[in-house]
Amino acid sequence: MDIDQTRRLFLSQAGASFGLLCLSALTPDLLAQAHEHAQAAGKSGTMTYRFFTPQQAAVFDAFAAQIIPTDNTPGAREANVVHFTDYVLSTIDSDQQKPVKDAFKALQTQVTKSVPGAISFAVLTSAQQIEIMKAMEKTPEFGILRGFVITGFFGSPALGGGNKNEVGWKLIGFEDKFLYQPPFGYYDAQYNKGKS
Amino acid sequence: MSAATPPQRHYELSAAVDFVIIGSGASGGVLARELSRNGFSVVVLEQGPWLTAADFKHDEYMNWSHSALTNDPRKQPTTFRKTPRDKAVKQPALTYGRMVGGGPVHFTANFWRFHEIDFIEASKKGTIAGTGFADWPITYADLEPYYTKAEWDLGVSGQAGASPFDPPRSKPYPLPPMPIKSSGVLFEQGARKLGYHPFPAPVAIISQSYQGRLPCEHCGFCMGFGCEMGAKSSPLPTMIPQAIATGRCEIRPNSYVRKIELDTNGRATGAIYFDKSGKENLQRARAVVLAANGSETPRLLLLSKSNRYPDGLANSSGLVGKYLMFNTDSLAGGLFEHPLNEYKSIEVTRIIHDFYEMDPKLGFYGGGGIDARFLWQPISFAFNGLPRNLPQWGSQYKKALQKYFTRSMVLAGHTTSLPLADNSISLDDTVKDAWGLPAMRVTYKDHPDDMKTNHFMVDRSMEILEAAGAQEKWAYPVEESTYGFHLLGTCRMGHDPKTSVINPDHRTHDVPNLFLCDGSSFVTSGRGQPTETIQALAFRAADRITALAKGNQI
Repeated sequence: MDIDQTRRLFLSQAGASFGLLCLSALTPDLLAQAHEHAQAAGKSGTMTYRFFTPQQAAVFDAFAAQIIPTDNTPGAREANVVHFTDYVLSTIDSDQQKPVKDAFKALQTQVTKSVPGAISFAVLTSAQQIEIMKAMEKTPEFGILRGFVITGFFGSPALGGGNKNEVGWKLIGFEDKFLYQPPFGYYDAQYNKGKS
Repeated sequence: MSAATPPQRHYELSAAVDFVIIGSGASGGVLARELSRNGFSVVVLEQGPWLTAADFKHDEYMNWSHSALTNDPRKQPTTFRKTPRDKAVKQPALTYGRMVGGGPVHFTANFWRFHEIDFIEASKKGTIAGTGFADWPITYADLEPYYTKAEWDLGVSGQAGASPFDPPRSKPYPLPPMPIKSSGVLFEQGARKLGYHPFPAPVAIISQSYQGRLPCEHCGFCMGFGCEMGAKSSPLPTMIPQAIATGRCEIRPNSYVRKIELDTNGRATGAIYFDKSGKENLQRARAVVLAANGSETPRLLLLSKSNRYPDGLANSSGLVGKYLMFNTDSLAGGLFEHPLNEYKSIEVTRIIHDFYEMDPKLGFYGGGGIDARFLWQPISFAFNGLPRNLPQWGSQYKKALQKYFTRSMVLAGHTTSLPLADNSISLDDTVKDAWGLPAMRVTYKDHPDDMKTNHFMVDRSMEILEAAGAQEKWAYPVEESTYGFHLLGTCRMGHDPKTSVINPDHRTHDVPNLFLCDGSSFVTSGRGQPTETIQALAFRAADRITALAKGNQI
């Protein structure tokens, strides 16, 4: 075993706000379903949801678009984060359904507080949405929704159709080759030049 | 994920085998191969599944969050408290490998020998009040041949003699170091400027073809992942198939042991375990070897209590489960002008051991090494990789992820933990696992010197990043441990049955045919990379146990 500080950090985040630790293992059946789901999501812009209500999907879509916005590069929306989250919540992360529902409730409570009479986070202006999110960004409810956005944006495209067209990986410069030869980066290339 | 069990020898439950080994990981895998090669019949009971390279995927989410290769907190809950005075709360408190091949299947593969000082530190530096700081009953010289054996039989890449702090060795590494990464270059330059002695990291990953295995392809998914190339030198592609090839070893996956059985003479007769279907079986054996890791080994001894041993098996000292040591670690990050692309290849290519021992003038005990690495894959980077003062969502967050992912690295310190009697594995009073057994309760609070060591390492890391030309640098907070990956010290080795659980042959003081060998055997923590020592101990234990068995002394 090695130190694995990543995991310590990842898990501390998970334990605090993401509830990832109490989840079932991926079976071959679920993996096959995930591939199907990914393909279906790719084919149709109007697929039905398994877990989200249409209203929840709209709220999560708006929330996700504030976490990783679309600007000159694709954001959470283009990465298909909503469909990813819907997929995992209806399969491998089904025990996270309640915390996610609670998070939607907490978000709506904040909406009502900030914009009296507003019926949904999804219909607010961007400025209103940001104000509401800032007001609750330290809460576990915010954390769990953010967690699914990040996972759907940067995860393996094979799982639930998130990170569509690898837009998350392209954003940060992560290649999907999984096989490399040196030089890996600028400094080792220079180092080896100096040696030869 | 599952895999068919490969063809192998099968033993009936009713007939006693020579050895039942509990655990197939760092130590259990080695013991299985060595004892079966030495002519003994062996059954290995492994609680996890038998996966193969074909099961390993580059799926970060499944690996990290869904316990694909490790203990599953849903089925195996733990509780945690800082001190025995606190109420334990149900929360994940430790990770270990739970599959055939054990922790080294998913480890980062840093493979450091202990140094001579690690075995004799208490007598050199003096004992420390309120701690169990003590010498080992064996020395570096006793273990040196087995370090060499571990490096050659498993396949380790490194450069002998590259560090002025290295202990003596009888043979060089079998394989040359892995190619340097940009993090290694920058770290080497920064460390040299400050007068330190960086050197190629020894790793249990093969840099060239070795014993029929193909070399590393630099996929970048070592830490936390199984190697789909078989280039990581865990027991899975090495010890396990070699044990099976003897025709005398059966690996039995999905076998969760709940008790060591004793006869009326106080000798172990085998192990009771649940098979995959939940059915209870007793595997009879002439001797039992517990290699279940530093948390499960003491737990199983405590679960094996009886009228004869009401405080748990092999626990006349009262020390089973005590002196738990996690090692501490520190972290500092840096951003550089050009791309490092640290997500490629293995984690670590350069390290320093200049602080293996602290200057006594500092006034606290400790020591360790620092390495340069990248800790992240895309998801974990987005969660934790950015400096904490940057936005964690929104357009600035997105821009920061874009900027930092390819151009940053971290320096990680790996350091000592003092053995404290309160830090322990015990049985929880109320929480049960999925099999109805008492859950593991973890009690842990770092010694103040461990925290000082940690701060020291962060400070040195920040200086090295500065010297390496980082455009920005940041320290991650130093916090008390609430989670363990290194599980050490919980059935310590010693000559005196009053102050230790096993003798230098790894035999328990109390039960003559019960042996323990894994991280639990440690007396002190070493400097944060325990696996090679666990495996060297296992090679040595196999020799000792073989000699005892052949001399009819078991």
